[in-house]
Amino acid sequence: MEEIKSRLNRSFATVFPHLAPEKIPGANMDNAGSWDSVAHMTLLTVVDEEFGIETDPEDAENLTSWQALFDHVSSRVSGAA
Amino acid sequence: MTLTEAIKITNRSADDHENPQRIHLVCGFTPLHLETFLKAYGRLRSGGSGISFIAGLYGDLAGNLERAGREASATIVVMEWADLDPRLGVRDLGGWGADLGPDIVTEVSGRLARLEQALIKTAERGSVAISGPTLPLPPVAHTPGTRASSLDIHLSEMVAAFFSRVTGMSGVRAVSRQRLDELSPLQDRFDLKMELFAGFPYKQRHADVFAGLLIDVLYPPAPKKGLITDLDNTLWSGIVGEIGITNVCWDLGRKAQVHGLYQQLVAALADSGVLVGVASKNDAAVAGEALRRTDMLIKEGSLFPVEVNWGPKSASVERILKAWNVGSESVVFVDDSPMELAEVKAAFPQMECLLFPAGDPEAVWKLLWQLRDLFGKDSIREEDRLRSASLRSAAVIGDVGEGEAPADFLAGLNASITIDSRKDTADERAFELINKTNQFNLNGRRLTEADWKSSLQQRASFLVRVSYQDKFGPLGKIAVLTGAMDGGTMYVHSWVMSCRAFSRRIEHHTLDWLFRHSGAKTIGFDYTATDRNMPLQEFFRGVTSDELKPGLMLTESEFREKCAFLPHRVEEMADTAATG
Repeated sequence: MEEIKSRLNRSFATVFPHLAPEKIPGANMDNAGSWDSVAHMTLLTVVDEEFGIETDPEDAENLTSWQALFDHVSSRVSGAA
Repeated sequence: MTLTEAIKITNRSADDHENPQRIHLVCGFTPLHLETFLKAYGRLRSGGSGISFIAGLYGDLAGNLERAGREASATIVVMEWADLDPRLGVRDLGGWGADLGPDIVTEVSGRLARLEQALIKTAERGSVAISGPTLPLPPVAHTPGTRASSLDIHLSEMVAAFFSRVTGMSGVRAVSRQRLDELSPLQDRFDLKMELFAGFPYKQRHADVFAGLLIDVLYPPAPKKGLITDLDNTLWSGIVGEIGITNVCWDLGRKAQVHGLYQQLVAALADSGVLVGVASKNDAAVAGEALRRTDMLIKEGSLFPVEVNWGPKSASVERILKAWNVGSESVVFVDDSPMELAEVKAAFPQMECLLFPAGDPEAVWKLLWQLRDLFGKDSIREEDRLRSASLRSAAVIGDVGEGEAPADFLAGLNASITIDSRKDTADERAFELINKTNQFNLNGRRLTEADWKSSLQQRASFLVRVSYQDKFGPLGKIAVLTGAMDGGTMYVHSWVMSCRAFSRRIEHHTLDWLFRHSGAKTIGFDYTATDRNMPLQEFFRGVTSDELKPGLMLTESEFREKCAFLPHRVEEMADTAATG
């Protein structure tokens, strides 16, 4: 789990370079200023690349927070294992 | 590259540059990952400079192009079928009935005409990279997909005709469909789910490849200047010293066609102004006779210098570079021997050293395309054709001795210099000289097409182009100056001269003409010392006693005192508004 958190944080830091590291785990589309619809699609793709998964664009509207993405990635990675 | 890699590159760019270069990205869809990849490739191509894109409105390609203003220095236009008629996309439901074909053709024709008009204005402001539709047509025609429909053929014909017209405009370059097909297969381009969900129609891999090509087209790498080729098992099949002059071959019948194709390409490169030299370990007399065979596809006269000896190839290459007066980074060396390539590479690490894979036709095919890419240029001008011949005459002048040739020799050249002060901003040769000349270059500054055009549109600006010819033949256009008059002082902003024209006092004649023609008593130079402009520095040391530093000023009296010898005839093609 810690490794997933660390890698997810790295993805967030790539897409939102100005987001303070301590704010990443609590980030969502409402409180992260630069997290707009374009950044959202970019973030999903970067997360896909980081974890080697393929997220359906239709799921995007439910993955609008760090926590939701963490849960999504955790289920996909553990499901593949 | 992956999107993550692209973002990391662009993040570095954002940190480093407060005033990035601005480019209009004109498309009808949400650019999303395409824009990210464009930024990344743009930064890599520019050597680190930041690039920002100005995108337009969704679904309005022509309107976006029409609204693109002067705030950007270049434009990228990405056209897909849906931009030419929404019924050719998937986000509108306008019908695919058989009776709609003529109406779709009419719509596409009208939108292409509108785009063409907008492109005319855009091209006047700067470079444009444009691409035709990269995505497949939807199943709009009534025929099965195995058959080309008349609608498909008609639409392709209209788009092809459009591209034929717009690429004739100065500064407009189109992405090669063939290259895109090679790098991004058609079936791997369209992301229907992403298009329906986010309005972005490209699969990531396609966006990556396509962005790289668009940046290549917008900012083409500087073409290499010279090709040095081996002979045995490269320019021809066989070792001439062993099998004899008549038995080396390059034809289909003797299974040596790949050498014929190579000769054919090298001949074409030479015709387009590429310098072609030979470095071969051979008996000079034998190799020379083989090169004079009448069935050679590249004529002996196109090869200069021909270095045939038993010494190290690197020594031959060094002599060729000296004769050409070009840097090793501008030259490609081709040989069939990995050992020779390694020896030359060790001596000239910046030189592109390529293996001629004689036994592998597929690899030779790749090599031929690689050479085309390395030497490719937008257009071929008269100066390109003159280059090799003028280097031969430069070699004759160089044989007289180091530095400037003696006065009696120069006087005997029967030379004439033509100074053209008409302000032709569309002169691609002048723009090219400014951007590729290193040694006789006032400040080493490179200009974008937008910079070039806007600076010459200033009322007090001037452009001076210098051509030269002597009894050895014409050199063509070899020097360019730009600047502006300010009161009684002339300020020169750019001054470049081809290295082919050194040692002839052309630069002295140019300054003499400037003083006489402008009436200025002082000329100020936007001078900066660079790592490579020593010949220019040497010239200035000969005409002024002042320290060479930015803001250098030269008075007419000092120039006349130190520059009395002007051996050549000068002809003028003057525009009275240019310098006066």
